[in-house]
Amino acid sequence: MYKSTSLFVIFLSLFVVSEAVFEDQVGKFDWRQQYVGKTLFAHFDSHSQTSKKLFLATDKNIFASFNSRTGDLFWRHVDKAGPEGAIDILLLHGQDALMVVGDGRLLRSWDTNMGGLNWEAVLDTGSFQAACFVAIQDTVKHLAVLKNAAISLHYLTNGHQKWVENLPDRDTVQYQAVYSGGEEEIYVLGVVPNSHLTIIAYSLEDGEIIKQHYSISVTAVLMCVSGIRAVCVCSLDLEVSPGFQPVLVSSQPHPARSPISEFFLQLGPHHHVLLQLNGDGYTIAPLRDFQPAFLVSFATTGEKTVAAVMTPKNETACAINLFSADSGRRLLDTTVIFPLDLNGGKPHKLYVHAFLKKDDSVGYRVLVQTQDHALTFIQQPGTHTDTGTYTQTLERTHRHWNVHTDTGTYTQTLERTHRHWNVHTDTGTYTQTLERTHRHWNVHTDTGTSTFTLSASLLDIMGKSKKISQDLRKKFVVLHKSGSSLGLFGIDSKSGSILWKHYLENVQPNAVFKLIVQRTTAHFPHPPQCTLLIKDKDTGLASLHVFNPIFGRKSHIALPVLPRPILQSLLLPVIDQDYAKVLLLVDDQYKVTAFPSTKNVLQQLQEMASSIFFYLVRSDQGNLSGFRLRKDLSTERIWEVVLPTDVQKIVAVNGKRPNEHVHSQGRVMGDRSVLYKYLNPNLLAVVTESTDTHPERAFVGMFLVDGVTGRIIHEAVQRKARGPVHFVHSENWVVVSSSCCSLATVVVVVVVVEATHHIYLYRNSKYFFLKVGLPSGAILSLPKMFLDPRRPEVVTEHSREENLIPYAPEMPIRTEWFINYNQTVLRVKGIYTAPSGLESTCLVVAYGLDIYQTRVYPSKQFDVLKDDYDYVLISSVLFALFFATMISKRLAQVKLLNRAWR
Amino acid sequence: MWLQVRLSEVCLFLQAMFTLACCFSDMESGPIATSGSVQPNGDRFKIEGRAIVPGVKTQDWISSARVTVEGEEYIGFLRTDGSFVVNDVPSGSYVVEVISPGYKFEAVRVDITSKGKMRARLVNFIKTSEVIRQPYPLQLRSSGPHTYFMKRETWGWTDFLMNPMVMMMVLPLLIIVLLPKVVNTNDPEMRKEMEQSMNMLNPNPELPDVSEFMTKLFSGSKSSSSKAGQDEGNRMDEDEDEGTEVFTKRKLESNWDRYKESEKDGPSDDTPTQRGTDYHVLLESAGKEYMTCSFEMA
Repeated sequence: MYKSTSLFVIFLSLFVVSEAVFEDQVGKFDWRQQYVGKTLFAHFDSHSQTSKKLFLATDKNIFASFNSRTGDLFWRHVDKAGPEGAIDILLLHGQDALMVVGDGRLLRSWDTNMGGLNWEAVLDTGSFQAACFVAIQDTVKHLAVLKNAAISLHYLTNGHQKWVENLPDRDTVQYQAVYSGGEEEIYVLGVVPNSHLTIIAYSLEDGEIIKQHYSISVTAVLMCVSGIRAVCVCSLDLEVSPGFQPVLVSSQPHPARSPISEFFLQLGPHHHVLLQLNGDGYTIAPLRDFQPAFLVSFATTGEKTVAAVMTPKNETACAINLFSADSGRRLLDTTVIFPLDLNGGKPHKLYVHAFLKKDDSVGYRVLVQTQDHALTFIQQPGTHTDTGTYTQTLERTHRHWNVHTDTGTYTQTLERTHRHWNVHTDTGTYTQTLERTHRHWNVHTDTGTSTFTLSASLLDIMGKSKKISQDLRKKFVVLHKSGSSLGLFGIDSKSGSILWKHYLENVQPNAVFKLIVQRTTAHFPHPPQCTLLIKDKDTGLASLHVFNPIFGRKSHIALPVLPRPILQSLLLPVIDQDYAKVLLLVDDQYKVTAFPSTKNVLQQLQEMASSIFFYLVRSDQGNLSGFRLRKDLSTERIWEVVLPTDVQKIVAVNGKRPNEHVHSQGRVMGDRSVLYKYLNPNLLAVVTESTDTHPERAFVGMFLVDGVTGRIIHEAVQRKARGPVHFVHSENWVVVSSSCCSLATVVVVVVVVEATHHIYLYRNSKYFFLKVGLPSGAILSLPKMFLDPRRPEVVTEHSREENLIPYAPEMPIRTEWFINYNQTVLRVKGIYTAPSGLESTCLVVAYGLDIYQTRVYPSKQFDVLKDDYDYVLISSVLFALFFATMISKRLAQVKLLNRAWR
Repeated sequence: MWLQVRLSEVCLFLQAMFTLACCFSDMESGPIATSGSVQPNGDRFKIEGRAIVPGVKTQDWISSARVTVEGEEYIGFLRTDGSFVVNDVPSGSYVVEVISPGYKFEAVRVDITSKGKMRARLVNFIKTSEVIRQPYPLQLRSSGPHTYFMKRETWGWTDFLMNPMVMMMVLPLLIIVLLPKVVNTNDPEMRKEMEQSMNMLNPNPELPDVSEFMTKLFSGSKSSSSKAGQDEGNRMDEDEDEGTEVFTKRKLESNWDRYKESEKDGPSDDTPTQRGTDYHVLLESAGKEYMTCSFEMA
């Protein structure tokens, strides 16, 4: 029975209107930008001179290979998010890249040429400290991995462990470094804070301790260890900037040889010193002082080792110079200018790839990582004639490798405390009898992707996208947070290029954001206005940043003073004389601040006060309460719903989109009666999760609450389900997805309808599609038809007439429904849809690790010619007809003439 | 006294035992190294298998593929030969998938017992307990590339000709043009044959012929309409108006009456012979029409 119904469903689904892509549409109006995250380790492929590969390991647990000349991604491997997939170290040896993952959990070796894995080995428990290659007689055969309690040696060919040894005194000694200089010994360095250093030499063959050396050190000194000896740097007359932890930069060109005797010591944020260890191994002499110098790095090619130093040139540029490492002399003609973007971040790290030119001089390429996580690749001029242009283009592609929004997390966190607002115009009209139609059904996937997560879908347009003009081209604003700076980017929806960027400094690391569009482009000559609400999560204090979303410029508008923590923000449809919508901010004393707060606005607010309602959610108390605005801009509480926190906690609350347009009021049923939708614009969907996480007892609850009266209109519980919960609330339906015990994702659909009336209403063909992000990276466009709670188990005449698909517990997923075909978007955080200037077309932006933008036609392209429209055929037919008439006219003339002669 | 000593001895012994036990336990937890890779991972196991895309070199697809266990709970990567190992998996039941944007793979459910016994079976989300065994280590064979794209409707002559509208237009046209040429109506033998076939079709000569009836109907209606026009004055200016008048229901009824009248008058005349000759005249004058008519009836 089940088989046959599922077959029937699949058969039916073939005829369902679907948002599929045609092959010739690839890349026509969609684009994807792939990002990798903040670079932690970068290596140039020095395997061969002409190699163009660049390998990166990032904080998003990605190991990626780039074309260093163009910035194109060759391949990338995305590991599990979180600390379990974190990359501890990346080492490059020939064609192999060695990687320690998950705080010393796994050791991986990659074939960098093919982008495949060579082998993977499980390491013993213990937190990772350091790793280095070990060479015997100029060939690198082993890798030593140092953990906090043990050291192990692995073969490079297969990852097998040669030996593992426990470290002595591991309770007191902090082991930090491992080193091998090509001899038969491996040195491990440990530190006992405020006491001494320990150096242990292990035999490479069997892991026996050969030597153990302690050096008693005075407090707070800088030590430099060479071989088994420790040399004190403090004897030198060096002054460290107050409050700065000195950093040592050294280089070991080849694991089989000892490191070069020169090294950099960073004494202050912009102060580096090049030092040299003398031949006797006991004394250190300074070679050159670099002040100011932002960044330093060593690079080796052949037998030559050079030091690259980045020094500030002027306000807008930095200069990078090469210095000979052994003498500290500057090499001629090696200056490269790195343009500093005032809006961008400061340089953060420098990676240098040196190579020998034909005339035996040293040439180099640099990769500069800036604080906004961008990478810029610069090639020394002279080696190529077209360097200038190509650095430019490279910058464009590379500049923002990880522009990704933090909005996913922010909606989660912000929603917990407050969100959404209600403006009610007529209360008490929805007192008609309600007929509740609901059924729960489990949706499982058939083939391919088995975790059917509604990762995020159709949540709302929000301020993310706004019209730039009335055509298909729009602009959207992307927030990107890196450290204490928040980047705002204006992105063109047509090409994905960054039109403007703006950085806000000194943003609290745990701040949450909300982007609000106060005025669109529709009110010329007033510029569009966007407001970013930044709220410190700890204190609740908020600040506003008002800008023009078209150019990114900050608007010079008097901002309200917000001395108190902000609980809720609501955008009213009330507009001031400048056509800006009014933003209300509710503080912790339930007082309301209006922005903009002109006289006109305040007057309007007083008039409307009795019909302005809002709600607050206190997730920790399980409290949901509704308020009404008073004329003096204070508030009164009118209702309160308490969900006991010991049973369930509120996960998310969502209202409807304020600008939602309902196209049909009801639905015609098989018996010619109309099922009217319950279209309360103030309906809130509250989703709760049980505190009991046991798979058998866990549940996900859903309440529909009237935002004005506080009446609970409907409640539903899905048993044996747990978060993460994703849900969509629109018109009269709510779709809630949560994961079920056995991996499959359960989707609960609740549709609220009013009593039926026996009136004939003609059908309105408005199709809904839910955009679902799958863990495989695909974005599924799921016809709403499949999420109809009235899908019958037994097909009847009526249900067939209503176009209801028979119920099947498993949801078919067809790859034709993937609107992003093979352009996968991994780790989807959110999907935004926005209507475009054309009625038939919607713009979709999906973001996660990558950004993907496309157009969809939910009801097909009814207002434009199809893109396979055959212009050639039509025009050729027209021309043929035209010529045919001309010729026949001529022939007719001839015939008439002949007849006249006869 | 003795007892006391004895007791203290026992105590000592116990203490010694305890310290010994402590030592042992310490020994066990201490040298992680000696016990090898099995011990620290405890009840962690690995899922092994191999993925094959027939006809495609591994280097062309492995760099974009990965192996996911239970969603993204555990992730493995493909080796250069297409094999894979997912390490560090505790016992349980998992859905293992090879995810590649280019190629389709079937998911497999892998059960690992607490002792580390492995079993692979087909994934069935509805009947989770159903067991259809699959080979382990996993052998995942791709069933080909994903079909992401819809086929464009291409314009072809066959599509055009098979269109019902086109067929309705073209076929009668062909018959009108071609049939008279194929069948020679001037041939007397042929004419006789036709006559016979007509008689076969119309076995009862008493029954009025359809075509004749139609002609009568038209001529009759014309006269009636002209009468109506006379009756109702000068409203009938155009022929088209006449036509519409003719085909209203009421007029048709009246025509039937008229027909009956003519039938009543009929028997006095020598109708059968009269009719026969009339028919031949009709056939000669409008042979084509007759032919189409018969075709449509057939």
